[in-house]
Amino acid sequence: MKKLFALMLAVMMMLSCVAVTNAEAAKTSLNVCIASEPDTIDPALNSAVDGATLIIHLFSGLSKWSQDANGGLQIVPDLATELPLPVINEDGTATYTYTLVDGLKWSDGKDLTAKDFEFAWKRAASSALGADYGYMFEVVKGYPDELAVEATDDKTLVVTLNNDVSYWNELLSFPTFLPVREDVVSNEAWATDPATYVSNGAYTMTAWEHNSYITLTKNPNYFKADEITMDEINFYLSDDENNMLANYQNGDWAMIDNVPNAEIDALKAQYPTEFFVGSQMGTYYVSWNVNAEILPEGCELTGDDAEKARAEIRFALGLLFDRNYIVTEIGKAGQQPASSFVALGLTDADGAKQFYEVAGPSDEYAGYWNVSADAYEANWDTAIETLKKYYTYDEAAGKFTNFPTIEYLYNTNDGHKLIGEYLQSVFAGVGINMNLVNQEWNTFLNTRKNGDYTVARNGWLADYNDPISFLDMWVSNSGNNDSQFGKGANAEAKIYSIDLTPYGVDVKVENGTWAETYDAAIAAIKACGDKEARYGMMHAAEDLLMSTGANPAVLLHGHLHDLRERAGLLREPAGLQVLHVLHRRPVS
Amino acid sequence: MSSKLMFYILKRVLLAILTIWIVITVTFFIMHAVPGGPFVGEKAISKEAQAALEAKYGLDKPLFEQYTTYLRDILTKFDFGPSLKQRGRQVIDIIMDGMKTSAKLGLIAAGLAAVFGIVLGAVAAIRRNTILDKTIMVITTAFVSMPSFIMGSFLLIIFSVSLKWLPANGAMKGGLVLPVITLMLYPMSYITRLTRSSMLDVLGQDYIRTARAKGVSKWRIIFGHALKNSLIPVITYFGPMLAFIVTGSMVVEQIFAVPGIGRQFVSSITNRDYTMIMGTTIFLASLIVIMNLVSDLLYKAVDPRIEFE
Repeated sequence: MKKLFALMLAVMMMLSCVAVTNAEAAKTSLNVCIASEPDTIDPALNSAVDGATLIIHLFSGLSKWSQDANGGLQIVPDLATELPLPVINEDGTATYTYTLVDGLKWSDGKDLTAKDFEFAWKRAASSALGADYGYMFEVVKGYPDELAVEATDDKTLVVTLNNDVSYWNELLSFPTFLPVREDVVSNEAWATDPATYVSNGAYTMTAWEHNSYITLTKNPNYFKADEITMDEINFYLSDDENNMLANYQNGDWAMIDNVPNAEIDALKAQYPTEFFVGSQMGTYYVSWNVNAEILPEGCELTGDDAEKARAEIRFALGLLFDRNYIVTEIGKAGQQPASSFVALGLTDADGAKQFYEVAGPSDEYAGYWNVSADAYEANWDTAIETLKKYYTYDEAAGKFTNFPTIEYLYNTNDGHKLIGEYLQSVFAGVGINMNLVNQEWNTFLNTRKNGDYTVARNGWLADYNDPISFLDMWVSNSGNNDSQFGKGANAEAKIYSIDLTPYGVDVKVENGTWAETYDAAIAAIKACGDKEARYGMMHAAEDLLMSTGANPAVLLHGHLHDLRERAGLLREPAGLQVLHVLHRRPVS
Repeated sequence: MSSKLMFYILKRVLLAILTIWIVITVTFFIMHAVPGGPFVGEKAISKEAQAALEAKYGLDKPLFEQYTTYLRDILTKFDFGPSLKQRGRQVIDIIMDGMKTSAKLGLIAAGLAAVFGIVLGAVAAIRRNTILDKTIMVITTAFVSMPSFIMGSFLLIIFSVSLKWLPANGAMKGGLVLPVITLMLYPMSYITRLTRSSMLDVLGQDYIRTARAKGVSKWRIIFGHALKNSLIPVITYFGPMLAFIVTGSMVVEQIFAVPGIGRQFVSSITNRDYTMIMGTTIFLASLIVIMNLVSDLLYKAVDPRIEFE
């Protein structure tokens, strides 16, 4: 998943390639590099962006992303004749029936049927497979091992969800939902060798020199093969940004997906039309462990009062950071300053407004604090005033004198280090001593998950456009609940309040535990079929989350509009790139 | 072959096996003691899925049982198990894939380093204190002191980015030229210097003087007597160097994106791909042990005076 989370470096560039003059006869081909050797290109097992990019060239699902005339992205039917609305059953479950288009074939010429989808979905969701993204099927009735999906005949697929899910059609385009054939995947090594790799999409894999390159060749059995203009794509497998850049600069590769952070400014100047800043629906943030002590020694507050104080302090500390500085001086890749946890790019109930624009308590600014450059000073003052309630402040020096020394944990990486150093300098300015501690990636993940830290670097990327993908990770028993809400001492704290009665849900708690409030809200959201109410509750849940001060979002990423001028290249919201309709343009 | 030599070889082989067993044991337990695991990711998988995966790969068993099973599979079936991260691939296949490239790269680089190093060293010694000798010494000193990441980047920028003569990526056609040069410069320079000083030493020996006095031709002295006897330190260096260079220079593989074994080793550790860590460790340890043994035996071939104990 590390590739998926290289939020800082979500930069891409491409060249209007070498001219192909003898246009008619010549086979078109393209050399690109997006990442190193993928862990897997089995659609069910993959969970990385680079693997997903290869997979969407190799497979087709029921729906796909498409660009409209204005460059906007939308979900359209792919192998399904249409994407129908569900039938809502008496028990509130929702049944979708899909019909496959005629004449679908696998790359080896065999017929593709609805049975293949049924098999693939049951396999992907099963706990026996243990796929990273198996949980994407949790909206389906019977998840994980009794999945309510059935092929009633060769062309009809019927699936029942626990309730109507607004982003269901989007999920259908996701690699985990792509079909695979039982006899193919019964060989566990099927996805590692072109000889055994059978797909149904625009391309077939014709070569895989491990750690060197993967060659995709146009699939003649693809049902829209005549629309594919690029005959062959070579995905070179490298993750060294300097090496990637050298290959781009010497003309061997037409596109690379990552550049060295230090080179960004120079490259923008050198390649004004080729350098593109992509975007991901992601948030880069700093997460506090809610069970870590940050009150001064000798503080008289105990129990719930102390918990409340810590929340207030964490929130105030978040106001000290100048997010505009981080974005322009450290990130440099088009990131946007953040004021909420749910990232830019996720839309609100009406599908037009951004979720974050509507979030937060104020009408004057979006989110939970004002990120405009003018507001920074006022934020700072507010923060200092709040902190003065709990810590001794030396007015003459402008510093707190009894804030305990804390540690900032990050995984070894220059970008993360730069941000850590910035945060350290801000805290030092007010007398807070914060040491930087870096750990190697896997150790870091383990430390953070176990809550053996005070404050840590963190990041999250949504896989589909629904804010729940940012919110359900914070329920007490979630494996991604790095802030340890509802765990340890926090499990007993009765300081959280939520009121969902305006949305027709019988949940109104004042001063309850995390489980009684947040967990209950997320459960209600997942069971809710009414879009307006659902989004209302998601805003309420985010309000509660942000009130803890545990996740002061530092950065957000840009939205997708940078890409609309690009002929044929489509970048999906989750960061996948679709190259197969890319035309080579002559160099002017 | 004398029985003394046989005994020596037997002793060394047993010692090698013991060394490798210690390496296996220490690596196995340290690896499991390090925090994290192969199925840990930024997005957590469910507890059921985690349990299913651990059961599939036998990681749910007590550690000591895992250890004995692992040793047994290697000894009885030469089975290093499947990679935990690269699903569907066997560790042995991944190592062989990486070795194909690393060995090719390393053998060419080591061969060129030896040939050029010995020739340059001999020339420098024979033409001692001339401009030629000084030039060779200055250049080799520079190459010995320059880290390979600087040399590699330097060559990359000149020959690939600016001149566009050679590809920057090891997987492309002709892509191994720059990595080979980067890899050979250090050992070549080192061998040059070793050969030169050793040869100067030999050239001052009595038997060389005697040969000269007897009127043996200059070239006969150099090739027949001096050079052969100057090579002992070179051989000492060459064995381990070959093992080191063939098993993949991680730095050079990184700079030129060469799909070798070195990068696999590093990424397996980051990924906590336990079976891959074990497989690559055993492989590299064995290779180094064998190369050391071979170079010790080569002494004998070069200098019959050396006695094995």
